[in-house]
Amino acid sequence: HPWETVTTAAMRKYPNPMNPSVVGVDVLDRHVDSSGKLHSHRLLSTEWGIPSIVKSIIGTCRTKTYVQEHSVVDPVKKTMELKSSNISFTNLVSVDERLVYKPHPHEPDKTVLTQEAIISVKGVSLSSYLEGLMANTISSNANKGREALEWVINRLNAEIEEFTASARGTMRNSMAAAAFAEK
Amino acid sequence: MNSVGEGCTELKREYDQCFNRWFAEKFLKGESAGDPCGQLFKRYQLCVQKAIKEKDIPIEGLEFMGPSKGKTENSS
Repeated sequence: HPWETVTTAAMRKYPNPMNPSVVGVDVLDRHVDSSGKLHSHRLLSTEWGIPSIVKSIIGTCRTKTYVQEHSVVDPVKKTMELKSSNISFTNLVSVDERLVYKPHPHEPDKTVLTQEAIISVKGVSLSSYLEGLMANTISSNANKGREALEWVINRLNAEIEEFTASARGTMRNSMAAAAFAEK
Repeated sequence: MNSVGEGCTELKREYDQCFNRWFAEKFLKGESAGDPCGQLFKRYQLCVQKAIKEKDIPIEGLEFMGPSKGKTENSS
């Protein structure tokens, strides 16, 4: 899909069926800088499907984990960069992700995504096991991320079709009414 | 999609609709001048910041983030 489509979809990525744990998205700050790039700071709230009986004991406020995301969109150079890191459990683990979307250098209707993640686990004994586990999850999630955007893009296209169909219907009605009124 | 603050979801939806339209129709086409969503954003922001404080979410430098600044600053 062309870069503009992917970027628009990435801005509206949640909710989608591939990321059911993301339950909230908020914009903390957004501004266009002096070079025309759009910066957005967002807060993502995630819920990991903790059994409701546990929730009823510890309270729902403590079952959410939070991620903060900073994105920069350059409409001239056509790049979108997203950096996110967890703000919950930072005393245990740090997950920093970076995604960059750019138009494909040879095929203008395609977009290239580069994705990297740095995971550090604090504490000694489980660190290499947990890091390996998280690395696997993150790389399979990368594919999920692509599927998620496909889903959003399809939905956006469906919205456009619906809007066009209803606009056509409205126009036909008003043209018919105008023709009738002329008689 | 909900907001972190339950009472802010409606304000968020209004702002999101405005932003998504501006982003796809103006910003990506190179017309970033003018921000039709400023008022909606301010109202939504106030609600969210309150919710974040209430829920004690550890966001650094939140109170220093403003429309003209991208970096956090320390106050004395």
